[in-house]
Amino acid sequence: MTNNQETLLKVEHLCQYFGATKAVDDVSFEVKKGEVFGLVGESGCGKTTTGRSIIKLYDITSGSIFFKGIRISAGILSYQEDIRKAKAEYNEKIATVTDPTEKNLLSQELKQRIAARKADIKRARFDQKNCDKQYSKQMVAAVNAKYRALLSRATEAEKPALKKEYSNELRKARKAKLVTQIQMIFQDPVASLDPRMTVREIISEGLIIRGERDKKVIDQKVYEMLELVGLVREHASRYPHEFSGGQKQRIGVARAIIMQPELIIADEPVSALDVSIQAQVINLLNDLRHSLGLTILFIAHDLSVVKYFSDRIGVMYFGKLVELATSDELFKHPMHPYTKSLLSAIPLPDPIYEKTRQRIVYKPLAEHDYSVDKPSLREVAPGHFVQCNDAEFAKYKAQLEQA
Amino acid sequence: MENKLHVKDLTISFRTTNGKVQAVRGIDFDLAKGETLAIVGESGSGKSVTSKAILGILAGNSIIEGGEIIYDGKDLLKIPEDEFHKIRGDKIAMIFQDPMSSLNPIIKIGRQLTEAMILKGKSRQRESRENFNKYLKTLNKRMIEAIAKDDASKAAALTAKCKDFDKFEYKHLELENAYNVARSAASEAVSDIVDILFEIEKNALKDGNYRIKNVKNLALTSINPWVVSVKADALRASCAAMMAGIKDLKIVSEKLTKINAILEEALALEQPNFFAMGYYLTFSGEKEVPNKPVPELNAYLRQYLDEKFMLSFIADAKQALVYSAKVSCKEMEEAIAVLKQYRSVFQAEKLDKKACESAHKILSKKVIETIDLLDIKKDSLVYTFSSGFKTEIDKYFNGLVKNPKEAKRFAKQQADYDRRVAKGKEPDWKVVPASYTDLELVKRNMLNQIDRMVAHFEELIAANDNCDFDAKAVALIDFLKANASGVVNKVTKRIAKARAIKLMEEVGISEPRKRYNQYPFEFSGGMRQRIVIAIALAADPDILICDEPTTALDVTIQSQILELINRLKAERQLSIIFITHDLGVVANMADRIAVMYAGKIVEYGTSEDIFYHSAHPYTWALLSSMPDLDTNEKLDAIPGTPPDMLYPPVGDAFAQRNKYAMKIDFERQPPMFKITDTHYAATWLLHPDAPKVEPPKAILDRIARMEEKRGVQNDQ
Repeated sequence: MTNNQETLLKVEHLCQYFGATKAVDDVSFEVKKGEVFGLVGESGCGKTTTGRSIIKLYDITSGSIFFKGIRISAGILSYQEDIRKAKAEYNEKIATVTDPTEKNLLSQELKQRIAARKADIKRARFDQKNCDKQYSKQMVAAVNAKYRALLSRATEAEKPALKKEYSNELRKARKAKLVTQIQMIFQDPVASLDPRMTVREIISEGLIIRGERDKKVIDQKVYEMLELVGLVREHASRYPHEFSGGQKQRIGVARAIIMQPELIIADEPVSALDVSIQAQVINLLNDLRHSLGLTILFIAHDLSVVKYFSDRIGVMYFGKLVELATSDELFKHPMHPYTKSLLSAIPLPDPIYEKTRQRIVYKPLAEHDYSVDKPSLREVAPGHFVQCNDAEFAKYKAQLEQA
Repeated sequence: MENKLHVKDLTISFRTTNGKVQAVRGIDFDLAKGETLAIVGESGSGKSVTSKAILGILAGNSIIEGGEIIYDGKDLLKIPEDEFHKIRGDKIAMIFQDPMSSLNPIIKIGRQLTEAMILKGKSRQRESRENFNKYLKTLNKRMIEAIAKDDASKAAALTAKCKDFDKFEYKHLELENAYNVARSAASEAVSDIVDILFEIEKNALKDGNYRIKNVKNLALTSINPWVVSVKADALRASCAAMMAGIKDLKIVSEKLTKINAILEEALALEQPNFFAMGYYLTFSGEKEVPNKPVPELNAYLRQYLDEKFMLSFIADAKQALVYSAKVSCKEMEEAIAVLKQYRSVFQAEKLDKKACESAHKILSKKVIETIDLLDIKKDSLVYTFSSGFKTEIDKYFNGLVKNPKEAKRFAKQQADYDRRVAKGKEPDWKVVPASYTDLELVKRNMLNQIDRMVAHFEELIAANDNCDFDAKAVALIDFLKANASGVVNKVTKRIAKARAIKLMEEVGISEPRKRYNQYPFEFSGGMRQRIVIAIALAADPDILICDEPTTALDVTIQSQILELINRLKAERQLSIIFITHDLGVVANMADRIAVMYAGKIVEYGTSEDIFYHSAHPYTWALLSSMPDLDTNEKLDAIPGTPPDMLYPPVGDAFAQRNKYAMKIDFERQPPMFKITDTHYAATWLLHPDAPKVEPPKAILDRIARMEEKRGVQNDQ
């Protein structure tokens, strides 16, 4: 279901540094509309940070994030570094040349390059700040066009109602934000719900912030969502502590989908739940995904669940995306040694197999020789990307052909 | 196999503002040595409560309604708190789910690791001294009573013998103490030298002069006839050379290496038999022991001791033991008679408080008198009888007062509620259900205790006839010896540090010397859990309780930690109780599995039984609700939530969520049906009259798939 569909989310060379720590380092991937994209990796490998960068909880260090074709996030470090590099490069060159005209030429070139990068930086800063403003401008324009046309055609009797609706819609359009079409479901259902708010307040909070004021509409929507996630209307007036873990997670899901998001970032939504409840929540997400046409970025460390739920899977290791493939392909032909090690660690409900299971240990320094040839993410088979250098690329290709 | 832990009919409730929550409702299991028992179930099924009960760390509002947890002959539910101190952490250790919350964030890892070692070391010393004095005194008394009843001169000779024992024990301690001081100095020095060499290599030596001087002092302290003797001069020379060239780190590290070599060689030497040596030096009149290699010397001294003293002393001790056992048997017979006589007091329809209390006094006295003072094994059933019995009596008479009050309150509240409902109001409060003390149960418990005591005494009397008193006498002397050396065995900070670093290496922490001085926040999740495991292992426990130790960790780390636990289990013959809800993990770890639901064990068997031939619908539901790598169809989620244990269901607790439930499931609780010798399940489906039901397709498919996969693997 992933082929020839529009790209909903595109992450390009995303870097997120916290001081000297490179939490996410040059990660690129695309999420197609309607698919579930799984991100796996051990704790601290940057998968959560990636999710949070996408939803703009952090200002990213470098790279760009495109959502529905619009750049919602952009970092500037790579441009700054390019300027620094260019300066060093050209200064060296200039020092070696003696001819004054050539010298002049070189410094001209340098100036041009710096100017181009500075323009890039300016654009990135602008996009980073103003993507929502641009979006709301578009929305306002659309609403204006629609209602002006309607008003011109309407009779005098219809006009007051229409005007009211118009002003309502206009207010919403002014407050519209592109990023609210990305919603998040968190790991811990207990910690992510405010204990002092009723379920109604929790679920409707986003709507109200977005400018919805009509109580009836809000209630209607809240009830709809509750029923969608398998709860009942009566639950709306209760507090979170009155629910079990699975029900709390359902409330978290309802809070996310009431905003009618196109993309949901599910950050370990089932890790904190019991097995039986886990299955309930996974089934719920699966149903919603089909009925609402959701796209989900599914972050988890339980590989059995990720395999079950995702169409494509990206494997992260220490801030880098090391392998990316459809989930069947990844589990059938894991290429990168880290993926192999990760797959060998999955416990299965089969005691006889478990007694003989050998875990493969991943030792990056022993596996790869990246001293000369630097690795990058390359496509070894259609849709199957692996982080490798030239020698490894040839090796992986040969392996795939054999299999 | 040897049974380490035995849990029988354990019932635990919690007192809450809404009433009594029944957390554990009569569970039985046992744990063999070197075995892993997994307890599987949803949260709230009572699995953690069970483990906390075993460790005696239940919350304050818990009520232990009945049952017993037998460890090492003791009932952990009855023993007093200060006896529990010797078990908790020492014999039974626990690893918790969240490693961060079980470590103190503001104390360095090293101190947290060594804290228990040092504390336990001190208390062991104290205990050893008390034991030694007490037992030697009793032995002397019993010897006189057994052998020289009316013979004053013989009695004097026996007393002299005991005094001799004490005297040369004293010499033994003196020798051993000196040896220990020297040896621990040597091991401290070695550990320091390794540290300093490490830091010199890394070019980060701090307080160099002071520490090198300290090493010199330690090295010189280690000069002792039995530690560093032959090479003492070389050692002194090296130390002097080192101090002379202290400014030059190259010389220092060279000399340190030399000293280290000497000390390590010394540490590898065999320990002489100080016990025998003590006797030789005290009574032979010689000032020095013969000059021989240690093994030969040990043999010679041993023989000398045996001939001159030990054999006759053991013979006397044996006689004393036989006599003591006889006395105790006689007491036991009397006690049985008294117990049987007073049993009727507790059989009455309504117990009489005065009669009960006086009976308790008499019984406790009688039971305590049966204790064989020379028996080194403490019969805690006897020790705890009095307090345990008193608790039951108090419970009964408290219940007698409180039950009517509770009934009155309940009736009043219920009437109030009904009145409001009748008026058409809808009260926003609920009637707190009445919680009565089950007087019949308490009475039965009392009678059970008496019966058990009688059975226990009869067993002991029967066992006494074919008891090996020779072995017992040797064991007693060994016990005295062990306690005597326990007095001199001191755990200093340095020794504890060396031990902690060894432990850290054992659990797979790299660079333990550097890690020793770090704080918990500097460790990653997996490393923190390793530290917690190291702390749990520091006391060398028998039983390790792991309460979801890997739930907070990701797959690779989880795999490493599980491997670590499995390896330690094999190396140390640990018995493990493994609590989890992840069945994949269970398949890896468990020898046997108990599936718990709503405070009861619903299925119990080996891991093969549970995974390939499971019989309870709840086990089926658990197994089919988790996806594996080949699952494509919709998951079979268990509908609904576990029942509210304030109002436990009448029938099978799982009936409401069970698609296989029959009518009887809602009416009566199923008993444990036996499937095979190792496999039990509590479900009416196993009743001969029940309709035949197949496990869900998802499970059968998975088993078939697994078999197929394994077949492929075996062929390769």
